[in-house]
Amino acid sequence: MPFDSETASLAVPPTIEVQDLWLRYRSSQEATLKRTLVGMTQRRKVTRYVEALRGVSFTVQRGSVCGVIGRNGAGKSTLFRTICGILTPSEGRVVVRGHVTPLFSLGIGFNRELTGRENVLLGGLAMGLAPEEVQEQYQAIVAFAELADAIDYPMRTYSSGMSARLGFAVAVHLDPEIVLIDEALAAGDARFKKKSSDKISELCERDCTVMIITHGVRIISSLADRCLWLDKGRVMAEGPAPDVVDAYLRFEGVLDEATAAEDM
Amino acid sequence: MAEPSSSPTVHVYEPTDTGLPPLHRYLREIWGRRAFMWHLSRSELKAQHYDTVIGQAWIVLDPLLEAAVYYLLRTVVRPIGTDAERNALLAHLIMAVFFFGYTRASLMGGTKAILSNRNTVLNSSLPRLVFPLVAVIEAFLDFLPTFVVYMGLHVLLGQPITAALLWLPLILVLLTMFNLGLALLASTVTVFFRDASDILPYATRIWLYVSPVLFTVSEVPPNIAPYLKLNPMYWFLGSLELIFTGHGPTAKGLFMMTVFAVAVFGLGAFYFLRRERDLAVRL
Repeated sequence: MPFDSETASLAVPPTIEVQDLWLRYRSSQEATLKRTLVGMTQRRKVTRYVEALRGVSFTVQRGSVCGVIGRNGAGKSTLFRTICGILTPSEGRVVVRGHVTPLFSLGIGFNRELTGRENVLLGGLAMGLAPEEVQEQYQAIVAFAELADAIDYPMRTYSSGMSARLGFAVAVHLDPEIVLIDEALAAGDARFKKKSSDKISELCERDCTVMIITHGVRIISSLADRCLWLDKGRVMAEGPAPDVVDAYLRFEGVLDEATAAEDM
Repeated sequence: MAEPSSSPTVHVYEPTDTGLPPLHRYLREIWGRRAFMWHLSRSELKAQHYDTVIGQAWIVLDPLLEAAVYYLLRTVVRPIGTDAERNALLAHLIMAVFFFGYTRASLMGGTKAILSNRNTVLNSSLPRLVFPLVAVIEAFLDFLPTFVVYMGLHVLLGQPITAALLWLPLILVLLTMFNLGLALLASTVTVFFRDASDILPYATRIWLYVSPVLFTVSEVPPNIAPYLKLNPMYWFLGSLELIFTGHGPTAKGLFMMTVFAVAVFGLGAFYFLRRERDLAVRL
């Protein structure tokens, strides 16, 4: 088996392939009928274009963990939303080989009025699984999230850490192929962080591909094989995680010492 | 793990010119989410009406009271003679209020479909069409008990049960298609014009007054009939009125319902799919 996968990996194309990706969107006030009518009489067009991604290219291989770092507003979340197909590229191309399970800071939570239990089911069904497939994993999900009785309370009563734990548990238990994690680990406590990084390593052994955004650069150094550093929509560096993290910290350390220290 | 790697699903995301997603794949994605849509509508309704008996009963009581108000209004304005006439009017009002309620609920649900699922739209790659679809499923599930109650009242009020009622499923299918088109339009428009939903209660009220709800089709004076016929609800409620009074629908009625259902659904689906990719950016 190991021999097979070795030879296969030479021929297998990368799981995530991003080629010269640009993403622009119009930044304007929230549109209303009233504003449109007023705007028509005023003949004044205030539309600014925001370039969130400017020519980003990289690849991620099957079974690897790729960390994404960068300042707030560097385009990290926008990049993830484009890989999920939530946002459409303005230019360039994204090829994703496999099903993507997004896990963004909000985790699951279709309806905050519904119980955790119902949201687990909905989360699984939204991924396109059959109800039985979700039921099979249900006990494991609840056990992993460590919610105990709270699973039957409405999700609006959950703390952000509880929501994040449940979201993470659902995403990793439903046999994902590609997982995109955006800061979801940040909300958990230290013990859960350890538990979830172990789970991520386990997923990778099963050939699952993981991309993870975090400001906790320590996690990235220990967990990720490779790392992508974005700044103002551009790729500053891409390579082995420790090197990129190092370069990022040095860069940020020069510009803004206090922030860099906090990020660690 | 050997199997999925041999034939993985490949997604390619590129800027598109047409603005429409590949329909075949899109429909398959939606079909794959049918369990999701069903569970979401069921559990949202459960959360709304909660567990109370009053909450459940309210689905039927609310439109019944509305019909009662219209009945009072009608009988005060112009007292009617016989019991049979009064019963027929009451049956008509209840029927029309219930069916109009289905369309109104679909439209109102549509306005909230994308906005209230903001987080899900921003954070998952579900085909967005499931949300207006869920709004219509919810409206239909709320409509069903009112329909059952109407059939009971229909018999109680001595209205005829004839073979004409066999037309009902077809009319319901066309009406549902029409409602879905409305929900799709409403869900997109409210993202681009947030205050559109403020106007809606007034718009639906006016719409109700110009539809054959408070009056029957046979009462329409010939001089304003051509204008009322521009309203799709004239044909839907008019045809329903015919089949519930023991007549078959007219050929023209069937034709017009089909035209409105196909046109509004087509327009709604096209507009929604064209704009779907912009929705996440606009939220």
